[in-house]
Amino acid sequence: MLLTRTKAFKTFAVPAWDNNPINVQMLGICSALAVTVQLKTSFVMALAMTFVLATSSLIISIMRRVIPGNIRIIAELAVIASLVVLTDEFLRAYFYDISKLLSVFVGLIITNCIILGRAEGFAMSNPPHLAFIDGLGNGAGYASVLLSVGFLRELFGSGKVFGFSVIPESFYAAGYEDMGFMLLAPAAFIIIGLMAWLQKYLILRKDQ
Amino acid sequence: MSDMMKTIVFAVVMCVVCGLLLTAAATGLQDIQERNVENDRRKNILKTVDLISPEKQYSPQEIEQIYKDNIVQYGVTETGVIVDPAAIPKERVMPIYLYEKNGKIQDYILPIESQGLWGKIYGYMALEDDGSTVAGFTIYQHSETPGLGGEIEKRWFQDNFAGKKILDRDGQLVSIKIAKGEAEKLPEPKQPHYVDGISGATLTGQYLTEGLKKTLSEYEPVSVAFRKNRLRCRIQTEEPWCEEDAADTN
Repeated sequence: MLLTRTKAFKTFAVPAWDNNPINVQMLGICSALAVTVQLKTSFVMALAMTFVLATSSLIISIMRRVIPGNIRIIAELAVIASLVVLTDEFLRAYFYDISKLLSVFVGLIITNCIILGRAEGFAMSNPPHLAFIDGLGNGAGYASVLLSVGFLRELFGSGKVFGFSVIPESFYAAGYEDMGFMLLAPAAFIIIGLMAWLQKYLILRKDQ
Repeated sequence: MSDMMKTIVFAVVMCVVCGLLLTAAATGLQDIQERNVENDRRKNILKTVDLISPEKQYSPQEIEQIYKDNIVQYGVTETGVIVDPAAIPKERVMPIYLYEKNGKIQDYILPIESQGLWGKIYGYMALEDDGSTVAGFTIYQHSETPGLGGEIEKRWFQDNFAGKKILDRDGQLVSIKIAKGEAEKLPEPKQPHYVDGISGATLTGQYLTEGLKKTLSEYEPVSVAFRKNRLRCRIQTEEPWCEEDAADTN
């Protein structure tokens, strides 16, 4: 059996591309606008999000037969919230500068609809290994968008990639200027809009 | 067991497990987090007097070294008496930081604690030894809306403060105010006391303006002492602008 035919691979690939949480489902836009000014913050945010998504899906899937139906949303949120607080505490202890830049947005992962959506829609009705892979897939989908947006905004907004200057001085001497607009949230909105359009187009063309 | 009982037991167990986990993480990491906060506070004090560059990365040890070499902390009472911060105070003592170079005080740094729109705003303001010119300004903790009031943590906003005067031409304390829009558009006599405001964050600006005024009024006795020093030196040397070196040579 080919790797690409297995259920596990599909569980990973579908949310990562065909059903991308940001570009296709239009979820989690708020944090994608806020933390993508630099690649560094995008990267840490994507890691934090993937960690919470995969781990919460795994834990909820393991507990899915024990969780009473009438308080399941609360139970799911308790798991998610605990993981988010853990992540936040960890970042504040070991990556203080980045956690300051991310400010409230790590805490706001709790309210990110992608996570509760996956918990409720997938983890509650699938075995743990698939739920974990589904979390990773959604995390990868989220990360790919965040990193692309972060890359474009940092490159055109401040001429840097991961904090290193990549646009040579001679360009600036010749009259090149950084796009100040790229540093503002509306720039991310426009980039995500264009990416959503491109991705929808590619997916539709493949289907035909 | 009835469904009701099951639900309650599950909820209780869940709460206990999550609670224990979070308590363990919070207490376990507290030391490191507090060290980070302290380090960040020092970094901000150093930033107000330009001892570290915002472009570069510094290790906590470097920060501690630069801080120890240049900054001394004192306490000051409401009447302006300098006291040892370690002594047990009889009255309210406010912290003040002095930036000393070659045995002379270059700048004095005041902690800013202001009301904000959503919570307290904390920062530092460094004033030059003339008791009027702002040397630098930073904000290291706030809970304003990111992108709006949160812009107060950005360098463009904080860099605005350098060179502004807290005294008007008559020697009255006017503090530094946050303008609505650009400070350049104000009438010329007002410009030295205003910094560019943040669009969409008028209230944050108003709160910070009030907070700065309050802090500067509280520390006014200290500023007066610096101004007197400057005046004495000016009389002795008969120079229009009194330089420290000129005063020494006489």
